[in-house]
Amino acid sequence: MSGDHIHAEPTSFWKKHVFSVDHKVIAKQFMWFGLLWLLIGGLMAMMIRWQLANPGMPVPLLGNLLFSRTDGVIDPATYNMLFTMHGTIMIFLGLTPILIGAFGNWCIPLMIGARDMIFPLLNMLSFWTVVLGGLVGLYSMFVPLGATEAGWTGYPTLSTTVGTQGSGETLWALAVFLIGLSSIMGGINYITTIIRLRAPGMGWMDMPLTIWGMLFTAVLNVLFLPVIGSAMLLLIMDRVFGTTFFVPASIMSGASGGDPILYQHLFWIFGHPEVYILILPAWGLVSDLLSFFARKPAFGYKVTVGAMFAVTLLSAVVYGHHMFTTGLSAMLGESFMLLTMIISVPGEILFFNWLHTIWRGSLRLTSAMLFSMGVIFVFGLGGLTGLYLATISTDIFLHDTYFVVGHFHLTMAASSLFGAFAAIYFFFPKMFGRMMSERLGKIHFWTTIIPLTVVFCTMFISGYGGMPRRYYDHTSASYLAPLQHLNVITTTAAFILGAAQLIFAWNFVRSRWWGAKAPDNPWEVGTLDWTTPTPVPHYNFKEIPVVHTGPHEFSHPKLGDRDWISQTDKLPA
Amino acid sequence: MNALRLSFNPAKTLTRVLASSFALFLFSAGVSAQDVVNRWGPTPSASSYGDDFDDLFWLITALVSVSFALVVILLVVPLIRDRARPGKKASYDHGTSLHDKRFTACVSIIVFVVLDAWVLVIAMEDLQTGFWNYPNPDNAATYKVEVLGQQWAWNFRATGLDGEFGTPDDILTTNTLTVPKDRPISMNFTSKDVIHSFFLPDMRTKRDVNPGSVNIAWFEPVIAGDFDILCAELCGFAHYQMYGKLHVLEQDVFDTWEKEASLMAQAAYDKNDTEAHWAWEWQE
Repeated sequence: MSGDHIHAEPTSFWKKHVFSVDHKVIAKQFMWFGLLWLLIGGLMAMMIRWQLANPGMPVPLLGNLLFSRTDGVIDPATYNMLFTMHGTIMIFLGLTPILIGAFGNWCIPLMIGARDMIFPLLNMLSFWTVVLGGLVGLYSMFVPLGATEAGWTGYPTLSTTVGTQGSGETLWALAVFLIGLSSIMGGINYITTIIRLRAPGMGWMDMPLTIWGMLFTAVLNVLFLPVIGSAMLLLIMDRVFGTTFFVPASIMSGASGGDPILYQHLFWIFGHPEVYILILPAWGLVSDLLSFFARKPAFGYKVTVGAMFAVTLLSAVVYGHHMFTTGLSAMLGESFMLLTMIISVPGEILFFNWLHTIWRGSLRLTSAMLFSMGVIFVFGLGGLTGLYLATISTDIFLHDTYFVVGHFHLTMAASSLFGAFAAIYFFFPKMFGRMMSERLGKIHFWTTIIPLTVVFCTMFISGYGGMPRRYYDHTSASYLAPLQHLNVITTTAAFILGAAQLIFAWNFVRSRWWGAKAPDNPWEVGTLDWTTPTPVPHYNFKEIPVVHTGPHEFSHPKLGDRDWISQTDKLPA
Repeated sequence: MNALRLSFNPAKTLTRVLASSFALFLFSAGVSAQDVVNRWGPTPSASSYGDDFDDLFWLITALVSVSFALVVILLVVPLIRDRARPGKKASYDHGTSLHDKRFTACVSIIVFVVLDAWVLVIAMEDLQTGFWNYPNPDNAATYKVEVLGQQWAWNFRATGLDGEFGTPDDILTTNTLTVPKDRPISMNFTSKDVIHSFFLPDMRTKRDVNPGSVNIAWFEPVIAGDFDILCAELCGFAHYQMYGKLHVLEQDVFDTWEKEASLMAQAAYDKNDTEAHWAWEWQE
C-alpha cells in the first residue's frame, strides 16, 4: 500500500492554517465552521419557537436588531425564511460539516493508519466549496427582492417564480448545489482512502465501526447528492432561464409545461438517503463508543456492519413514503409502505447489538458515553414513531403536521447531534490536546436530553391534534387555537434546551484554550488514532503501524489487570 | 478579574432570564386560553373511515410504547447495575456464537411480525375498504365536488340540480363547502398556482392539491355540523390563513339548501365572467 503517501509540512501561515491540505487541519476547519452554523441555525429555531408561542409579539433581545423594519416582530415572509434556512443550515451547514466533514476527516486517516487522505487537495477544495455554499446561503437571506421562503424541501411551483419572485430562492438553490458538490468531493475521497490506505494487517472486519459508518455515508453521498444537484440546476434554469421543468402548462400560458411532482421524486430520491447520510456516521461512532466505554467488545460486529449495509441499500428504495398524500398510485404507495417497514428490521438489529454491548459491561459514564446512550434513547423514540408515518392510513392524517416535525427531528437532527456531541467529547483531547470538563459535559447531557424529549414529544401530541407545520400562527384558525397551549410547552422546553447549549459552548471554548493538557490515550482504547502522540504530528504516524487485533478487544480474560489492547499489539495466545 | 466575577454571575443571570421568560409564557398562555378549551388530540372523528385512523393510531401507540419501554429498561439496567467500580470486569463476549445469531434472528422476526406485519395488514384493509375505496362518481348517491386551490383560498364547484359540471346552475363558493350527511363526497382537486393540501382533520383525510394535474379523495361525513378545512402544504406567506369551513347538513336540510343555491347561481350566471368559469372534465 502507499504507506509513504506524504506531503511536506508547510511553513507559511496561510498554507499551514488556512489553505491547508492536512486532513487534521481541515477537520478542525469543518468543526469550527459547523459549530458556527449550528449556533446560527439554533438561534433561528429559538426565533421560530418564540413566534409560535407568542404570535406577533416582538422578539426579545435580538428583535430590534434583526427585524427593525417591523419593530422586532417577525412577519410571515420572514418566518417562512427562518424555518427554510433553519432546516437548510442545520442539515447542510451544521450537522454535515461536523459529523462527516470534521469527524470523517479526523477519523478516517487516523483510525485506518494513514498519513492523510488519498486526495489532500480535493479535501481542501471540498472544505472551501462548502464555505462558498455557506456564504451564498447567508447572502440569500439579505437580497432586496426577498429571501427564500419555500421550505428546505423547496417544492415547486412555490420555489419557482410562480411562488417566489426574489433572487433569494435562486441563491438558496445555488447554495444547496455547491454544498452538494462539496459532499461529493468528500465522498469520493473517503471511499478511495478507506479502500486504498488501510494500514497493513487491517482487513475490512478490523476497521472501527466509525469507519464503516463513514464509508456507507460516503457511498450514499456520491450516489445521491448528484440527484439533488441536478434538481437544483433544473430549478435554477426554471427560475432564471424560463424553462418549465417543474411548471405545468396550465398555470403558465404559452409554455410547453413540466411537472412539479417530478421535483418531489428527485428531491426525495436524495432526501431519504440524506437522513441516513446524517445518521450512519453517528451510528458508526456510537457503535464504537458504547464498546469503548462499556469496556466490552462490540456485540455482533459483523451483524452490525451487515445491518448498516442493509439500511444503506434500503434507504434508496423507500423515498416514496414522503409522498403518500401527493397522489401516488395505490400500488406504488403500498410498495413503499412495505419497504419502509422492512427498514425497521436492520434498525432493530442495531439497537439489539448496542444494548447487548453495554449489558454486563463495566460502564465508564463519561460525557461521550452518556451522549452515545442518548443516541439509543432519542433514536428509539424517533425511529419507532416512524411506524405511524410509514403506515399510509395513519400518515394521511399525520402528514405535514407537527408529528412529522417531531419524528424527523428526533431521528435525523437529535440523534445525529447527540452522535456529534459524543464524538466531540471523545475526540476533543486528541484534536485539541486538552481535556474537556467532564462535569460540565454531564450537566450539558442532562440539561439537553430532558428538555429535548419534552420538545419533540409535545410535537407528537400537537401533530396528533392536527396542527399543520410551517404555520406562522396557529391561534388564528379555530381548529388550532385549542392546541396553542402545546406550543407554549414546546417553546418553554426549547428555550431551556437552547440555553443548555451555552454550557457546551462555554465548555468547548474554555477547554480549547484553558483545559487540562490531554495525555496520549485518556480513554484507554486500542484504535490506531489513540496510538499517536498528542498533539498528533504532521505525518500522523512516524512509521505506518501494523494491525494485529480488532478494534474492540476489551476485557480479554488473558490480559490480566489491563482491560484493553492496542490494535498494533498481538492478543495473548 | 475578581471584580468582573462578582458583578456577573452567569448561573444567576440564566436563572433570572429563564424565570422571567417562563412567566411571560404562562401569561400569554393565560390570555389565549380565556376563550378556548385546551385540547390534547384531534376532535372526534366525523367520517365513516375516521375511526379506522383512530383505532390504528392507538394500536401503533400501544406497540411502540411497549417496544420503547423495553429499550429504556435495557438502557437503564446497565446504567445502574453495570457502572464501572474498582475490581469490576466486563464480560468478554463478541456475540458471535450460534446462540447469539439465533437470538438476533428470532428478535428480528418477532419485531417484523408484531410491529410491521400486523400494522401493515390492518392498514391495507383500511385502505381497501376506506381511504382508497373511492365511490363511483356516476352513482346517484355520490356527491361530487371540484376543488380549485389558489393562494390563499379554496374555490368549490358543485354540480347543482342538473348533476353536470360546467353548467350555469353550478354552485360556486369560496372557502365554504356544503355537503350532505351520510353520502360519499367525491372530490377532485387542482391548483391555480402552487401546491396546496386539502386537510379535513375531523374527517381524518388530506390530499395534495397540485397544479397541472387532478388529484382525488373522498369521505363520508357521519355527523352533521360545521368543520374546519386547513391547508397542509406550505403555499406562501399566508399559508396559515388559508382555511375554510365545511358544513355538513342532514339530507332534507341539504336538499333545500342545494335547490336554493343552485337557482341563485343560475340567476346570477354571467357568461362573460370567464374568471368564474373554471371547471374541468370530471376525471373517472
